[in-house]
Amino acid sequence: MIRFEHVSKKYPGGRAALSDINFELQPGEMVFLTGHSGAGKSTLLRLILMQEQATRGQVLVNGTNLSKTPLRMAPQVRQGIGMIFQDHKLLSDKTIFDNVALPLMIAGLRYVEIRKRVRAALDKVGLLSREKARPLQLSGGEQQRVGIARAIVGMPPVLLADEPTGNLDPQLSAELFGLFEQLNRQGVTVLIASHDLRLIRSMGHRVLVLSNGALIDDIPARQASTAAS
Amino acid sequence: MKSPSLKRRLRAWGRRQLYSLLSSLGTLLGHRLGTVMTVLVLGIAMVLPLGLYVAMHNARALDLQVDEWGSITVFLNAGVSAEQVEAFSQQITARGEVQVVAISPQQGMQEFRDASGFGAALDVLDSNPLPWVLQVRSEEASGEQLAPVVEALSGWLEAQELVDSVLVDHKWLQRLAGLLRLGSALVTILTVMFSLAVVVVIANTIRLDVANRAAEIEILSLVGAGDSFIRQPFLYSGFWYGLMGAVLALVFLHLSLAYLSLPLHQLLDAYGNAFALRGLDWTQLGAVLLCGGFLGFLGAWISVQRYLRALRRHGSLQQL
Repeated sequence: MIRFEHVSKKYPGGRAALSDINFELQPGEMVFLTGHSGAGKSTLLRLILMQEQATRGQVLVNGTNLSKTPLRMAPQVRQGIGMIFQDHKLLSDKTIFDNVALPLMIAGLRYVEIRKRVRAALDKVGLLSREKARPLQLSGGEQQRVGIARAIVGMPPVLLADEPTGNLDPQLSAELFGLFEQLNRQGVTVLIASHDLRLIRSMGHRVLVLSNGALIDDIPARQASTAAS
Repeated sequence: MKSPSLKRRLRAWGRRQLYSLLSSLGTLLGHRLGTVMTVLVLGIAMVLPLGLYVAMHNARALDLQVDEWGSITVFLNAGVSAEQVEAFSQQITARGEVQVVAISPQQGMQEFRDASGFGAALDVLDSNPLPWVLQVRSEEASGEQLAPVVEALSGWLEAQELVDSVLVDHKWLQRLAGLLRLGSALVTILTVMFSLAVVVVIANTIRLDVANRAAEIEILSLVGAGDSFIRQPFLYSGFWYGLMGAVLALVFLHLSLAYLSLPLHQLLDAYGNAFALRGLDWTQLGAVLLCGGFLGFLGAWISVQRYLRALRRHGSLQQL
């Protein structure tokens, strides 16, 4: 589903954000990406979203080799990925409904179809009753759930999340991860960047550990689970 | 296999257009004061060339009495008899394709009495001081060739014994035509300059709009919106600005025409000229609206394209 082959990313000025990264995510997997801040988690996600391109190596997403895809094709790549951001990235002057509907409007769906799917997505994250509210009228946890609804409304095969629980208390974080697990059980491949080690360990999924731009550990699902117990 | 997919893509495109259109209208209505001020500036910028155009248009309508172009008025000496006038008329007619109308002193006095309003004052005169007048009009030539023909004819008439003086009408008409040509050139220059101004005003408005919504554009881009989806609402905004500017310009124009119409009628009535002030016809109205919309579209395009390039290059608008 997502494959990195000898991927390096250098920024102008010589700083290496990622060096020789190799890993593969199978369809239907749920994987955490962890490491201290500045380890390269965000850069790795930016490469998958085609916000940047790798300096060396190949990034493959949904069977597309992003290193060989021109930047103008980035929208098509992003349409196949549901992305969840730490700062939610919601449009503050639009209603919750309109925010979630955005990917479907971009796809050009009929309004009745959009309404049906947006309601279903909002129902899944438990915010159907707030569809007419604006993002700033919602709590941080609710805003993050709106972000998730927007990410899943287009039914993409891959979900990416960049520190989704960054600003949430432990209980809300656990709830949110529970939501990701639920989506994963429905067949969506999930990659979550997070430094919430305690929570990650307790969930027992595969964990990729980045340090200074290098992949230093790849803990398989069961082992992570036993390590926690 | 391909046609249903194409059809679906066309429908999807159509729906995206509709969403963009509604979104752009929402934005314009959201910033009511800003929109009103921009449209006001655009309306004023557009009404100037438009007003001059209509003025030229009307002036040209005035000058449509082209039949007077080749007209020569010949004042005969006092005391010439009706028989002499008749013979002289035939002599002129024999020279070629000309038409001669003789106006006797009595007819002249009657016309003057009617037109000038000096009726009672004229009764004081014990004799008619007016001479016989001949109106000679050349029919063989028109346009460019008219001038030399009229020149030759008036030269010959001046040399005749019976003739006191010759008045050639076409001189001031030629000057008027020159002025009209100059006016048309001015209309062209003003149209170009003010169209440029309209494009710049709209481009700048849209630039500010894009800058204000940089965060929104970035979010759109991150959830998979292509350039056209991001660009579309701004293009529609530009179009609305241009269109509303054009509508306002037409309103200004017609208010001005209505305001000018009465004094102009009074003025022209004094010259004995029956004249109706003409506005724009339907085709012209349509063209003005279309041009306004197009200029707005163009300005928005120029503005938004710069940002999209930056967005693609840096993956974000933060650096701008």
